[in-house]
Amino acid sequence: MEDYHKPDQQTVQALRNIATRLRINSIKATTAAGSGHPTSCCSVAEIMSVLFFHTMKYRPEDPRNPNNDRFILSKGHAAPVLYAAWAETGYLKESELLNLRKVDSILEGHPVPKQQFVDVATGSLGQGLGAACGMAYTGKYFDKASYRVFCLLGDGEMSEGSVWEAMAFASYYQLDNLVAILDINRLAQSDPAPLQHHVEKYQRRCEAFGWHSIIVDGHSVEELCKVLSQPRHQPLAVIAKTIKGKGIPAAEDKMGWHGKPLPKDMADSVMKEMQSRIVSCNKRIYPAPPNEDASPVSLRNIRMPSAPSYKPGDKIATRKAYGMALAKLGRYNDHVVALDGDTKNSTFSELFKNEHPNRYVECYIAEQNMVSVAIGCAVRDRNVVFASTFATFFSRAYDQLRMAAISESNINLCGSHCGVSIGEDGPSQMGLEDLAMFRAIPTATVFYPSDGVSTEKAVELAANTKGLCFIRTSRPENNVIYNCNEDFHVGQAKVVYKTNDDHVTVIGAGVTLHEALAAAEQLKKERISIRVIDPFTIKPLDSKTIIDNARATRGRIITVEDHYYEGGLGEAVCSAVVNETGFTVQRLAVSQVPRSGKPNELLRIFGIDRDAITQAVRKVLSNSANAK
Amino acid sequence: ITKFNFSGYHKPDEKTLQGLKDVANKLRILSIKATCASNSGHPTSCCSMAELMSVLFFNTMRYKVEDPRNQCNDRFVLSKGHAAPILYAVWAEAGYLKESDLLNLRKIDSDLEGHPTPKLQFVDMATGSLGQGLGAACGMAYTGKHFDKSSYRVYCMLGDGECAEGSVWEAMAFASHYKLDNLVAVIDVNRLGQSEPTSLQHDMETYRKRCEAFGWNTYVVDGHDVEELCKAFWQAQQVKGKPTCIVAKTLKGKGLKDIEDNLNWHGKAIPKDRAEALLKELEALIQVPNKTLCPELPKDDAAPADLSPILLPSPPAYKKGEKVAPRRAYGVALTRLGQSNQRVVALDGDTKNSTFAETFKKAFPDRYIECFIAEQNMVGVAMGCATRDRTVAFASTFSAFLSRAYDQIRMGAVSQTNVNLVGSHCGVSIGEDGPSQMALEDLAMFRAIPTCTVFYPSDAVSTERAVELSANTKGMCFIRTSRPESEVIYSPDEKFEVGVAKVVRQSDKDHVTVIGAGVTLHEALAAADMLASEGKNIRVIDPFTIKPLDASTILASARATGGRIITVEDHYKEGGLGEAVLSAVGEEPGIVVTRIAVTSVPRSGKPQELMDLYGISAKHIANAVPGLVMNC
Ligand SMILES: Cc1ncc(C[n+]2csc(CCOP(=O)(O)OP(=O)(O)O)c2C)c(N)n1
Ligand SMILES: Cc1ncc(C[n+]2csc(CCOP(=O)(O)OP(=O)(O)O)c2C)c(N)n1
Repeated sequence: MEDYHKPDQQTVQALRNIATRLRINSIKATTAAGSGHPTSCCSVAEIMSVLFFHTMKYRPEDPRNPNNDRFILSKGHAAPVLYAAWAETGYLKESELLNLRKVDSILEGHPVPKQQFVDVATGSLGQGLGAACGMAYTGKYFDKASYRVFCLLGDGEMSEGSVWEAMAFASYYQLDNLVAILDINRLAQSDPAPLQHHVEKYQRRCEAFGWHSIIVDGHSVEELCKVLSQPRHQPLAVIAKTIKGKGIPAAEDKMGWHGKPLPKDMADSVMKEMQSRIVSCNKRIYPAPPNEDASPVSLRNIRMPSAPSYKPGDKIATRKAYGMALAKLGRYNDHVVALDGDTKNSTFSELFKNEHPNRYVECYIAEQNMVSVAIGCAVRDRNVVFASTFATFFSRAYDQLRMAAISESNINLCGSHCGVSIGEDGPSQMGLEDLAMFRAIPTATVFYPSDGVSTEKAVELAANTKGLCFIRTSRPENNVIYNCNEDFHVGQAKVVYKTNDDHVTVIGAGVTLHEALAAAEQLKKERISIRVIDPFTIKPLDSKTIIDNARATRGRIITVEDHYYEGGLGEAVCSAVVNETGFTVQRLAVSQVPRSGKPNELLRIFGIDRDAITQAVRKVLSNSANAK
Repeated sequence: ITKFNFSGYHKPDEKTLQGLKDVANKLRILSIKATCASNSGHPTSCCSMAELMSVLFFNTMRYKVEDPRNQCNDRFVLSKGHAAPILYAVWAEAGYLKESDLLNLRKIDSDLEGHPTPKLQFVDMATGSLGQGLGAACGMAYTGKHFDKSSYRVYCMLGDGECAEGSVWEAMAFASHYKLDNLVAVIDVNRLGQSEPTSLQHDMETYRKRCEAFGWNTYVVDGHDVEELCKAFWQAQQVKGKPTCIVAKTLKGKGLKDIEDNLNWHGKAIPKDRAEALLKELEALIQVPNKTLCPELPKDDAAPADLSPILLPSPPAYKKGEKVAPRRAYGVALTRLGQSNQRVVALDGDTKNSTFAETFKKAFPDRYIECFIAEQNMVGVAMGCATRDRTVAFASTFSAFLSRAYDQIRMGAVSQTNVNLVGSHCGVSIGEDGPSQMALEDLAMFRAIPTCTVFYPSDAVSTERAVELSANTKGMCFIRTSRPESEVIYSPDEKFEVGVAKVVRQSDKDHVTVIGAGVTLHEALAAADMLASEGKNIRVIDPFTIKPLDASTILASARATGGRIITVEDHYKEGGLGEAVLSAVGEEPGIVVTRIAVTSVPRSGKPQELMDLYGISAKHIANAVPGLVMNC
């Protein structure tokens, strides 16, 4: 600590004053809103003051500048103190703080990226540190810049396993540009946090997870300044012992105050008392500007260098085509990066890793953290990020995905091993609810390519599509059905089989598109012709193509999907055609928890193979014949 | 390396030790044969844990071989479920399965699936999604210690790669917090994961530090030394006040020449041409091929499960017109159910004062489990508590945060669990807290669980009945509760059934059928009032359960209202009530459905403001009625 310059007394006093003002503004705003978490703000007032006015280097007038140090408020319910800090920097007007939580203010109940100073939305606890890891990884290994990343967590929040996934990740990758500050204020929402004020236990856990860990008095500006100025070679955990509701005598360290604003009269007297503790000092402190060493990045027009090189009739699994496409995309675009959770030899992201080892991030078996890291890598448009695992294991990260929509994230996710067609591994490995999951994310585009060519196009389109993109890939090998010059667009379906006299429109995707094509051949022998549609994207769904073609088949539609009945392709189609007169939709899907077996056996017993389709077609036709 | 206290320990005799070694090699042989027969599976993941399984099943655990699901047995959870073949092998060695059956591994007509499922009597929880076993094991151990107060112990086997999952550390923290000294976790540290070495490789000291820091009594052992394992497991039984973790250093593919400890063998059957020689080598190690060991019997100190129906002591005590939030009614209902039956237990993740699980806790502190802010583990623990019908478990949090446990929930269906999950704070109607706290995808989530019944009660009376029905409905149940207070619309003696909707407003000449639930049912009723004042009638339906959905009531109403349906929901447009209704009427020609739902990420604001802003309030419903535009 030889080269540590203690802040002078003036600075210390100024930082204390700022802390007091942060408390006042947090109380004022939450009382005005009639809801919010003032006591959760009060415990971190000194921490925020020191971070924002002593430690962090950034441009307050340009919060999203790429060179700035990053700050993530993982305990997002303490939003008012974050807003207060930005008011203190001058970026927000102090009067705006009183619009907290109002329907026409950007100052929402929890931080959202509508606010320039927020990179990722928080409010679902335990997610900030993973995103911070992604930012720190990007800073250290991709941007190779000097910005640092600070993440503030609650103690109750430390019970979330996702925090420990991130802890393990950060130490494994030696993210010495990352600092986590743990606000150990003893209390959580409805009970004390399990470790109460046992700061040494937190320290042991953090150290065991490979972090340099220091216990400090979280209300001592001097101690905070000192610990945050330390040089380091590991990620740093500052374990700050604090008091919840600090500065509010009636609420300090008391249960029953979480998430409750102070009543007006109580707020007034507390604020008055606080105000009186502000010692006038002449020194006004400003954050230091950052080093200008993060070069600008353009993520526009991430294009494939050439058309796909498959030939119709080639056999390839779409999961493999994903890996090949991503490796190819990476060849000409330096900002394409890939992540996986120890399944890269199954998802084929390995092909990317083999070619671009420095742009591949192994996240090990920790899907929540993988998604959070991906989100972190993608903020401020630093990278085009693709993360992959088995489709079904994205369910492990559904809360992170839900929050990714709120974060306006542009990450791309690829889920392999969808459906019963994976075969012998059995139901625990089969993605049968992933379409339901991703369709219910408002910002998501859902690709479900059916051959090598369309998979390659899906990867290219995903890289350029805003919002979250999900690509669903399949395990079995299937025929390439498109020519290499075929054009693909989001929301544009392909009619892949058609005559002038089709009786039924069948919509399938992935393996079931190939089953539908086989069914079409089979039915042709019976002189029944059907039309077959490949939707390409399930969301948005190409209603027009579906409706136009189905009309040509007298409104008769059959959907067939390797997914449960609920929330997948079938319901998407129902939604698209619901108000077309005379349309009927017959749906084939998996209706119960499946089992182990060979892919074809399973397609058959769960009623989504070619025979099930031909039967359904015959039934639809005989029903309508009977109706006449 | 590990210091044992040996006083009272009787070292197994040489014959037993040799028997355990022989069993271990037999388990290897059987695992290899089975995966060769299926031409897929994970033989190397089995081989690393052969001695561990041998010692556990033939020296440490007490159970009735012929009755694997006996309530008094020690429990075993194979968290690294891909090692299923060795689990099947050990039950064959114990005599419960036929050895020849093992060769049907992964076949379409065999219960010996790729990963363990409870179709097999010796499996309580399906595994195969890594990192989930320990949470369930915690639930079993908590149940054994605190509810059953019985002597059975719980063992859980984890992989080292698997320990990267945060859910494992949620469970680690839980077990030490609740001093589950009847719980033993075994980590098979075989250095390798699927596609590369694990991040900690063979760094045993770091595993030790992590486990100790999370409050566990920890032994680092040689996982291939049966004598050391016998000692360690014995020692674990003596420890009071702490769970024990056995961190076992092993080699992946142990015993297989040129495969042992090598990369690129994960999840691959041994090629036929190599298998023969390898099997011969293993066979040569076996000294006594016949069975010599059998497990000890457990103490008979857990009563058989009580399977009697669980009923409310009296009808709900609400009056029509009274204002009660469904989330509050949940707490009251669960407490009343708890009065009727001792088996009812509740769990929550530090939101009990929001979900009102607190009401139950106050009445029955001994039957409430605080799970802190760790939703994955909460759901895992709840499922563990519910295995072998030991308890009827209700776990609650904000509905949005159940998304944190969606993988556990998905696996719950494979596990055939009867757990009940309750999600409060659904939709934009929670107001100021903003989108991070609003569940708008929970119906999509739970509808896509094949074994799940989805309740969405709209008042206090129906909430109480939903809770009662859940307790008695097989499969998973989900109850979606709302934050705002709403009027009680049913009388206390109203009968509710799963899959039976209620027509709550009707006349002879209704223009349209409106289907709403929770807050939107009340908005629909308000719309009906607005329209009635202009001389227009609408029919209003409360579906009560979204899955199964009462298609016949909906269809009959739709037919009576010119085929016109409006659905309105405080949920995203995908996968919720609207799509459920479309599915129910999709094959019926002549029905027109207008769906009103939330279509973009919402924001903070007052509940009513948000319902207006996102288009799901009474005036929007009124405006959606065909041929009608309201001026409001
Ligand atoms: C994943 C998740 N679970 C539950 C909640 C509900 N919740 C909001 S704040 C809080 C308590 C947080 O305690 P702590 O982390 O100690 O923060 P403090 O307010 O004490 O600083 C809870 C349970 C949440 N926001 N996110
Ligand atoms: C949640 C989850 N993520 C990924 C997988 C895919 N997977 C199956 S086994 C495995 C490697 C497991 O390694 P480890 O836990 O060390 O077990 P080992 O086979 O080495 O004993 C992976 C990644 C999975 N089954 N579950």
